[in-house]
Amino acid sequence: MDTVDLARLQFAITAGAHFLFVALTLGLATLLAVVQTRATFGDSPVHLRMTRFWGQLYIINYAMGIVTGLVMEFQLGLSWSGLTEYAGDVFGSALAIETLVAFFVEATFLGLWIFGWNKLNRWAHLALIWVVTLTAYASAFWIMVANGFLQNPVGHVLEGGRMRLADFGAMVANPAAQVAFWHVVSAGMVVGGFFMAGVSAYHLRRRTAEQDVFRKSLRIGMGVALPAVFLTATFGGIGFETMQPAKLAAWSGDAERLAAAQAEMVAAHGPGDYLPPVGWVQASGTTMMLLFALMMFFAGLSCLLMLFRPVVRGFRLWHWLMTLMIPVPFLAMLAGWAFREFGRQPWTVYGLLKTSQAMSPVSAGQMRFSVVAFLTVFAVLIAVNYWLLARHARRGPAAVTLGDRPIEAPVPAPTF
Amino acid sequence: MEIFILAFFALGYLVLAGADIGVGMALPYLGRSAAERREVIAAIAPFFLGNEVWLVATAGVLAGLFPELEGELLSGNYTVVVVLLLAWVVRDMGLWLRGRVPGARWQAFWDGAIVAGSWGLALSWGLLLGHVLLGITGPFAVLPALVVAALFGTHGMTFASLRLRGELRARAAVLSGGAGEARTYALTSAALVTVGVLAGLRLPLEPGSAGVVLVPVVLTLMPLLVAAQAWVWWTFRHRVTGPSYL
Repeated sequence: MDTVDLARLQFAITAGAHFLFVALTLGLATLLAVVQTRATFGDSPVHLRMTRFWGQLYIINYAMGIVTGLVMEFQLGLSWSGLTEYAGDVFGSALAIETLVAFFVEATFLGLWIFGWNKLNRWAHLALIWVVTLTAYASAFWIMVANGFLQNPVGHVLEGGRMRLADFGAMVANPAAQVAFWHVVSAGMVVGGFFMAGVSAYHLRRRTAEQDVFRKSLRIGMGVALPAVFLTATFGGIGFETMQPAKLAAWSGDAERLAAAQAEMVAAHGPGDYLPPVGWVQASGTTMMLLFALMMFFAGLSCLLMLFRPVVRGFRLWHWLMTLMIPVPFLAMLAGWAFREFGRQPWTVYGLLKTSQAMSPVSAGQMRFSVVAFLTVFAVLIAVNYWLLARHARRGPAAVTLGDRPIEAPVPAPTF
Repeated sequence: MEIFILAFFALGYLVLAGADIGVGMALPYLGRSAAERREVIAAIAPFFLGNEVWLVATAGVLAGLFPELEGELLSGNYTVVVVLLLAWVVRDMGLWLRGRVPGARWQAFWDGAIVAGSWGLALSWGLLLGHVLLGITGPFAVLPALVVAALFGTHGMTFASLRLRGELRARAAVLSGGAGEARTYALTSAALVTVGVLAGLRLPLEPGSAGVVLVPVVLTLMPLLVAAQAWVWWTFRHRVTGPSYL
């Protein structure tokens, strides 16, 4: 592998690891906010237990999302300084707004939500989880604006070999960003819904305590997952309208269309190979769509089955399958992301800056060191985090420590 | 104005998150038993998440307002920045995971990750600041790195003495001596700010062209961000009385 491929691999490892966890964060935060709203408005103990149980899983998952997110924020400057130099004046503003409006506020308020449990007024505590949820969406929005710009650069002018932001509104309204945003947040709801239903099904199958918590959770999870699957597919379909000709040609696999896309690029940019890796584009796109079909059938059937209470309580084969389905939306997300990003190659900024030109002047040795280091650390942490998620999911609401007592009971000894 | 925004977030990070780094470095000294360590961690627990995002914001401000400098600074110090990020990840996972499984060995392992990660953070900050400020690389770069690490450590110990009680507070106050905890904290904060400002002055602070749009947005946001953080500081203004969720 040459250095550019290593740099791409490193970005893919970081972004992929991040995506696995933030996808669940997006979906689970929303479900959590809804459940806590029920708990707070209805003064409902069962919903409070649900909030604490799903909240603890949310936090374990969030921890991995944030540490990979920290690394993400530095990846562009580290390995892709050619990109930041060339286009940073344009899409860097989306990244800046993301860190301030979303990341900063989300983390600050999540800290308050976790450590302020039983300490803050319960309405304030409820407001916090909604802010955390909305800022998670804001984060996805601004990241998709930045990514959409790389897919379909708009709102800029070229001056002296560098880009300048000419129309901020056009960059934000970029269809390649807007459609992808709705596609991704709906997919996040699919991930969250299948996760909630799958964990609940485990407890129903094992006939553990707290049947009420898990019957309700299963219904919420699947009830959200089904419409979310359709929304995801709808926006995914619209996404094809915003797709680059070369990506579409690679997806179709049609030799004539590929040749036409190549000829068009050669005419515009001179000789070179301008086609994305056809095999990867087709494999990832096909995987995403097959998994979509599987999820649609499963969620559709499940939504019918869950109308009948005895089925929800006792149909163990269905419970077992539902738990097995938990990884499927994650795989579909990763496949969809690979489809989008492989299809953009060989460009970093489509039609303007090639990936080979975007890289930092970093030596092969430095790049090898960092790829191995990030890969090792992330692999270990992901394994530990999934083990921990599974452990806490299995142990059920009785073992939850989140919000079980006032944390740091106030005493009249102010620090400052 | 671009420079003011960058300085605001970068210096805010050094002062606020610097204390978390220092407490992590001093964890084996401050907390001699598992229970004590948990209480020491409770001193920073509600803050560390809101503190570390000041650096995320700094990275965002660099990306939006100083894209050329962002690339130069990060890729020009590639290995140090990679080590800094890895140390940060290890420290954070230590904090998040230590309390999630009961068991002495699990907690001792992740406490070790917190200490190693905090030292890694402090030393890589030292190397980075030493390189930017004094242009030192190679074996001698260890000297400024150790000075910066000592500064983070002192700052963290002083913060711990402001947050803890009893025996733990006395241990943390060993460096402040008779000067008083609040005064020492002000002093170490000022020292960190000074190092940060001096290093900043050595950087080529040429803003990009996005400021026309971005500066008003950021200036509008800043009071809201500070207010959100102030809510955290106010909620957890009391001394630690027991273990936290971590």
